[in-house]
Amino acid sequence: MIFSLVKRNLKLYFRDKTSVFFSLLGVFIIIGLYVIFLGKMMVSYTESVIPENAKFMMTSWIMAGVISVTTVTTCNGAFGIMVEDTALNKLRDFKVSPIKRWQLVLSYIISSMIVGIIMSLLTFVASEVYIYLEGGSIVSFTAFIKIIGMIFLSVFSSSAMVFLIISFIKSQNAFGTASSIIGTLVGFLTGIYIPVGNLPIGVQTVIKIFPLSHSGVLLRQIMMQEAVDLAYVPEEFKLFLGVNFEVNGSILSSFLHIAYLLVSGVLFYILAIIVVSKKRSK
Amino acid sequence: MNKIITVENLYKSYGHTKAVNGIDFYVDEGSLFAFLGPNGAGKTTTINILSTLLTKDDGEVIINGIKIGENEDDIRKSIGIVFQEGVLDPLLSVKENLETRGSFYGLTKDVLAERVEAALLVTGIQNIASRKYGSLSGGQKRRADIARALINAPKILFLDEPTTGLDPQTRKRVWNTIIDLQKEQKMTVFLTTHYMEEADKADYVVIIDNGKIVAKGTPSFLKDNYSKDLLKIKPINSSILEKNLNSRNILFEKKIDIYQVKLENSLESIDIINMNKDNIESFQVLNGTMDDAFINITGKEIRE
Repeated sequence: MIFSLVKRNLKLYFRDKTSVFFSLLGVFIIIGLYVIFLGKMMVSYTESVIPENAKFMMTSWIMAGVISVTTVTTCNGAFGIMVEDTALNKLRDFKVSPIKRWQLVLSYIISSMIVGIIMSLLTFVASEVYIYLEGGSIVSFTAFIKIIGMIFLSVFSSSAMVFLIISFIKSQNAFGTASSIIGTLVGFLTGIYIPVGNLPIGVQTVIKIFPLSHSGVLLRQIMMQEAVDLAYVPEEFKLFLGVNFEVNGSILSSFLHIAYLLVSGVLFYILAIIVVSKKRSK
Repeated sequence: MNKIITVENLYKSYGHTKAVNGIDFYVDEGSLFAFLGPNGAGKTTTINILSTLLTKDDGEVIINGIKIGENEDDIRKSIGIVFQEGVLDPLLSVKENLETRGSFYGLTKDVLAERVEAALLVTGIQNIASRKYGSLSGGQKRRADIARALINAPKILFLDEPTTGLDPQTRKRVWNTIIDLQKEQKMTVFLTTHYMEEADKADYVVIIDNGKIVAKGTPSFLKDNYSKDLLKIKPINSSILEKNLNSRNILFEKKIDIYQVKLENSLESIDIINMNKDNIESFQVLNGTMDDAFINITGKEIRE
């Protein structure tokens, strides 16, 4: 039952080419900005600190950010089906069928995660191609496995956060607006448009609270390690690029980043489920 | 006959609007039951309560032996609903839609496949099964909606204005499909409509207005009791006819050159015609229609 609902949701998402495109729009904007404006500037700045492999390193830096943004925007796109079912009154047909509301909601969550994973994996493949074309090399096997793991973790966290936001939305217009805001904001909140170090302290704190920025940190660590040995990169520079986060004077460990993603994900799901079950129509 | 639906003292309001204001009726198993009324009369609200979509404020409803409010999933397994607007997914084919919705009923794969085929066959849409629902014409969509409602082989089929918005020819085809379901599959059909000719073909009609039942009975009962037969005369000489009718205290209405006389029964017309035999160019005797009955009961013409 849930399986066939998931199948339905996936078909509806992938057959709607415009929704697939728009769920990747944020990603296209980042890549466009980087290729056209930011790339050269950042590479030449990096070269002044670390002369070797600066371009490979910075391409990996931006692509790590792109992958973490993709997990949000595509999960969000997939939740569009939930909004559409509510807004277009399609829910009526589910309500008069012998299925439970939790089964329906679970099907939306599972399909959003599947969409997030598929699209992020595709983005990962595309970014490896780009890195290779720009003179870098393809990731090692261990890094590959780690990145896959990070995509799963990041999708879990993003889908939870997006689900909570979407659970308040009732109309397709509102969904469109929310999607564009999420798509734009997420690039800032993960420190991609502008490196974290360039932002005021207050904004830096907001970024550190935003769960997804931690997935960005971890992905950067894994992907940039392929270009340079991060151990020899000055700590200040790593903090500037958001390769490490410093909280209360100490650098956060990978374990803490992962724990933060998991805990915030679980928390968002609990909150969202409370909102959704309160919305039960009578 | 077995009563498959009984409704007693049903109430439902939205804020201060009393959508359904204390109605009682029952539906015989295997019958074609029509719920007739102008827009906003409470038809859809009632059908939504009977199909477990809305909760009632007060009253008792029993569907197929189960009280509404208890074991609703058992009720849901025994009913099929065709909504006013389509609820299928435009980007999926008709067959995919039927398979998805069919999976809600806990059927095995084989049974589900059979049900899909049967539903396509009954509604006559096998040839468009692989087309996207969104690309179908209005009539095809409506038949796909009906196929969806049949996927769980329901005992009761609810249809909310199934033929509204269709062209006359398509309307007839959809209507015939519905009649076949009732006659051949012995399904109980509960429909709302505002087409008189459709209500006229039902086994039993309930007329609802402002949330209350204003009349109920078989179509012939309603016509006999709430409508009058009509005699139309086109005279050769109008003034002679008028004088004749007036002298006998027969009330008439003049519409251009046609005189209309309301009759208690059609036999009365014989006297009037005999009396004016030499002054009649043409005449017509019309039986009372559902339209008349409806207008007489609700005091308003049916609105689209």
